[in-house]
Amino acid sequence: MNVDAPKRNLEGPFLNRLTGIWRPLRNLGAARSPVNGSRSLLTAAEFQEELAVLGLSGRRFEPEDYSDALGEYLNISITVHVIPDSWYPELSRLLALSGRLGELRYSEQLNLAAIFVPGSLPPLVLTLTILHELGHLAAGDLLIEPDEDFEDDQHAERTTFTTLPLKNGKKLARGYPFAEESLREREANLRASYALFAGCLGDESPYAHGMRDVL
Amino acid sequence: MSAAQHQALVLGSVSFVAFVIFLCFLIPSRRTKFSVFAACNLLFVALMFGAVALVDLSGGRAEIMVALMTELPVALIVAWVCLALAGGLSSRLPAEPVARRPRLRTILGSAPLVLLLSVGLATVVGLVWPSPALRVYAPAPPQFFVLKGLIMAPEALYSGLAAVVFVMAGLAPGLKRRFYFKNLAFSIGMVCIALIALESTVFAGLRVWLSGEGRRVILETLNTLEACLAICCILAFTAGLSLRYTPVVATTLLHRLQTGWLHTQEQFESLEWQAVSSGAADRLAHASDAVVEACRIKGLSEPEVQKALATIRLVAVMRDPSGETQHITPDAARKLYELQEEILCDDVLASKISWAAGWRSRAHEPQTVKSAPLHDALKAALELVDNHGESEGVRTPPLWYYIVAVSAADAKMIDPTHLSMRLREGVEHRAALEAYDLAKRTLRMLEDHDRERRLPEG
Repeated sequence: MNVDAPKRNLEGPFLNRLTGIWRPLRNLGAARSPVNGSRSLLTAAEFQEELAVLGLSGRRFEPEDYSDALGEYLNISITVHVIPDSWYPELSRLLALSGRLGELRYSEQLNLAAIFVPGSLPPLVLTLTILHELGHLAAGDLLIEPDEDFEDDQHAERTTFTTLPLKNGKKLARGYPFAEESLREREANLRASYALFAGCLGDESPYAHGMRDVL
Repeated sequence: MSAAQHQALVLGSVSFVAFVIFLCFLIPSRRTKFSVFAACNLLFVALMFGAVALVDLSGGRAEIMVALMTELPVALIVAWVCLALAGGLSSRLPAEPVARRPRLRTILGSAPLVLLLSVGLATVVGLVWPSPALRVYAPAPPQFFVLKGLIMAPEALYSGLAAVVFVMAGLAPGLKRRFYFKNLAFSIGMVCIALIALESTVFAGLRVWLSGEGRRVILETLNTLEACLAICCILAFTAGLSLRYTPVVATTLLHRLQTGWLHTQEQFESLEWQAVSSGAADRLAHASDAVVEACRIKGLSEPEVQKALATIRLVAVMRDPSGETQHITPDAARKLYELQEEILCDDVLASKISWAAGWRSRAHEPQTVKSAPLHDALKAALELVDNHGESEGVRTPPLWYYIVAVSAADAKMIDPTHLSMRLREGVEHRAALEAYDLAKRTLRMLEDHDRERRLPEG
């Protein structure tokens, strides 16, 4: 995924200080998910709550419906480009060599997200790749300032992981994005698989059932 | 027996009957945390009202304490329901309408704290200014109205709010009829609690400020109304709790599918795609073109062509010695095939799990585990790689399988001498061989034609 963040003229010392004061104040409102705090990976039940927010809980839906609902909620335009191999024969090769299956581009300035996937992907992988990239948008992974130096090698013993605050913008997830990239990727994979099953099962999903039968 | 004891006897009996119904019918058939909690509360209320009916507890602060003890279970039930709707109970989800409204969720989530605080405040008021709380028709001081109002106002508010949420949940589009009636029943139950709270407040006000001949009649009427509402409430909750629905797919099975089958299939297919797209399996290109051409020569359907193509790709990747394809092994393929077979054993599940054949291409039928070319391709590729076609048993393989076998042998992906006799001697094998030879010749002619055309241009 790539982020095309707008350049803001907030270099002045006064504005820097103001931003520094504002951030902790803004974070006071986020009672459930502390900024620079930690949380565990997304569960299927939590994903079902996200679907309820999008109005998709208990409904059968396609990835297109998820994309449309997510775009509407985040107030951004999401376009998915499935590039046939005959158009750009090198795209598949380059993506395959880099070990990736798709590419997400995001422009904060234009409120636009574009997902590029090669048309030669097997249908299930194509669906999951698109859902994976949409999962990054839902999580707000593109709205953080990635910490390149962040290192966390205690995965085996831990169930909660460090998160990062958002620069700005809106996300669907209740928790903040993880600081570590591999965890953001893992969670995007989880979101994709949850979305696939929730879309297939609709009101037969046990989680949708749980939201309609609370007692 | 005083009027207060009579009223306590009525309410105690109603509570006890409800407790027996919960214990004998509801809990054995559907044991939820709420039904157990409700049963405990009903027993507690029945015991409290029973004590009031049997022993004259009127007078002083003891009267206040007993009156508050009879109110407490209702406040606890309302708090539990609100918390459940807000998703505040462990491992439970909020109701759908609440998940979409964070403010509503916060309000409902505050119910236990507010209700318990209000009961606590009412206790303080009652203990500081004792009033005849149990003597139902006796005139009461204004402090009694404050005491009742402190408990009943938040109780009415929260139960009313919960009733509205249940109605909203019941009106969701595409809801199963059972859920509709269930939510409706709970909504009626909560409306009854809200009405009881309002009635109790009005009752307390009348005890403080109403005097004259008609007073007793009005209070008796309100008492009867309260008993009726209590019966309605218990019946509604019993109906709601007895309506059951079990989803087709259990949570544990879904988790197993996510971590097992889906993860494995995605890994397998994406690695295979990467191997093929990056050119790691370089013997594949010619073989797959010839397979597709041979299938077309024999007039095979598109799904059969896709299966043949998927099989030759799998054989090529599994037989490729390079590092890029090292994870696509016969063992990995076998594991995936077994997971797919597990899903296919469950007809309902197998029919429900599907994925689009392309982006915004609703014209195409979605793929399922059964219809996707990979399932048959895995079986065919494993047979060719492992046993060279021996494990087919009595089933005659389809023509596309013979074409793939011939192509794989020709491309040295499998050893042609090890192809089973049965495969080599059949009519289908000869037909496949002819089609494959013709396909290769056709492709070679096309290549020559292309080369000749390019030469003058160059």
